[in-house]
Amino acid sequence: MGSEARWSRHVTVIVSLLAGAAVWEIAAYFTTRAFWAPLSETVGSLAESARSGVLTRQAMSSFQLYLTGLAAAILVGAPFGLLLARVRWLRVALENYIMMLYATPMVALIPFILSMMGYGFAPKALVVFLFAVFPILYNTVEGARSIRPELIEVAHAFRSREWQLWRDVMIPYTLPFAMTGIRQAIARGLVGMVAAEFFLSPSGLGQMIMMGSQNFDTAGLLAAILVIVVLGVGLMDFGRHLEARFASWRGHDK
Amino acid sequence: MSGGQSILERPAAGFTLGARRLLASPLALKATAGIVLLGAWEGIVRALAPAYVAKPTGIARVFFTVIANEQFLAAAGATLGAVVKGLVIAIMLGTAIGLAMGRITVVERGLRYYVNSLFATPMIAVLPLVTLWFGYNADARLAVIVFAAFFSIAVNTCDGARSVPLEFLEVARSFRARPLSTLLDIVLPSSLPYLIAGMRLAAGRALVAAVVAEFFISIPGLGYYILFNSRTFKHNEAFVAVIALVAVGVSFEAMLNWVTRRYLPWARRD
Repeated sequence: MGSEARWSRHVTVIVSLLAGAAVWEIAAYFTTRAFWAPLSETVGSLAESARSGVLTRQAMSSFQLYLTGLAAAILVGAPFGLLLARVRWLRVALENYIMMLYATPMVALIPFILSMMGYGFAPKALVVFLFAVFPILYNTVEGARSIRPELIEVAHAFRSREWQLWRDVMIPYTLPFAMTGIRQAIARGLVGMVAAEFFLSPSGLGQMIMMGSQNFDTAGLLAAILVIVVLGVGLMDFGRHLEARFASWRGHDK
Repeated sequence: MSGGQSILERPAAGFTLGARRLLASPLALKATAGIVLLGAWEGIVRALAPAYVAKPTGIARVFFTVIANEQFLAAAGATLGAVVKGLVIAIMLGTAIGLAMGRITVVERGLRYYVNSLFATPMIAVLPLVTLWFGYNADARLAVIVFAAFFSIAVNTCDGARSVPLEFLEVARSFRARPLSTLLDIVLPSSLPYLIAGMRLAAGRALVAAVVAEFFISIPGLGYYILFNSRTFKHNEAFVAVIALVAVGVSFEAMLNWVTRRYLPWARRD
């Protein structure tokens, strides 16, 4: 790419961002404050909550919830998925049920969790866990289905022990698929986090959004949404990098 | 798919004779697993949980009364109607914007950051804002569904429109095809597999959006049916609505697969 083309690309991106900011700012003057707040006020509200420490405290609370649920999902989903990769009859027995749970909208279970477990940290972490675990399981099982039997046969022909088989065939082969699952889990877990903070005991960034909406503090509401947008974009990029890092291991499928 | 590779595979550790016999017919194995899972659910709930918690026998007992219930049918109709309406709007808008982004560089550069960021945003987060705009009514639910579904369709259609093979476009140009017929006869059909992938994603998101909106706004629908019944400790009845949601999701997926196989033979990617 020539330097001129790169220059023109930078210009269009900058123009697009400036135009977006201008639209955000100007839109506020054509509507009432209950509908939309100008960008300047939103940034001001964000700076204010950052200065008073509210933003940091709420973001940390959200992150703690998110990481707990996601870590539990990875620790359960990946090993169980690998086990299903190895023990074929167990996989055949369970794969349809895993697929069904993968397709289940987990938000629908929140009212059950609320009335059985009440308020607190554990039910919220359970929601994040449920959102995140099935993509990992589902994709790992999909990977396991595509392990070519010849690979295992060769390993047996060379008298691989069980743990060598795991180290040299099963784990390297299934890991890229598990990573696709983890990428999906990263995104779904974030949805679960916000849902749990809305519908179970209010906390974290979800509570900031709720409070903004209940107090008709549109600037505060937009500021909290902006934080979630930035978080979503960052996590999605991280997930893609993680997946791409292991994608090269997928030598010979399809 | 799960069948014919058994000759080469050695039995794993813990592979019992019974399981080996069951593996000969995967269907029996799957059915056995289903019974074991349901039995475990039943047993755990009976042993540890209060009586109102949903369990398979309880759900089976109320299942037919619930699905014949007028209130339940109205709720299911409301949710399904909103999801279909929202998806149709999102598909029309998303395809138009996605094609424009994929084929026109300025549009792509101008919108890319906005579309990609909002695609990555959990749509639940904008729900309170949407209720400020539309009020606590069915319009807000529709808006959230459109918002949830639109971006996955736009992003995927854009990817599809950009991956149109160059040779096709060159042939169209050498035959002096008009831009509109190039768009409708080459770019659109060639992006369809991506559009279908986007629709698959969008359908799941739209269903979640409808349920969440109903929790939040308290308007009739399957989500509200679940919320209302679980609050009054009728978990078995509420769970029937969860089953209905899964059935909707799975049948939409099956329908997309069927349409792909039947009408879009070039879309088969795996």
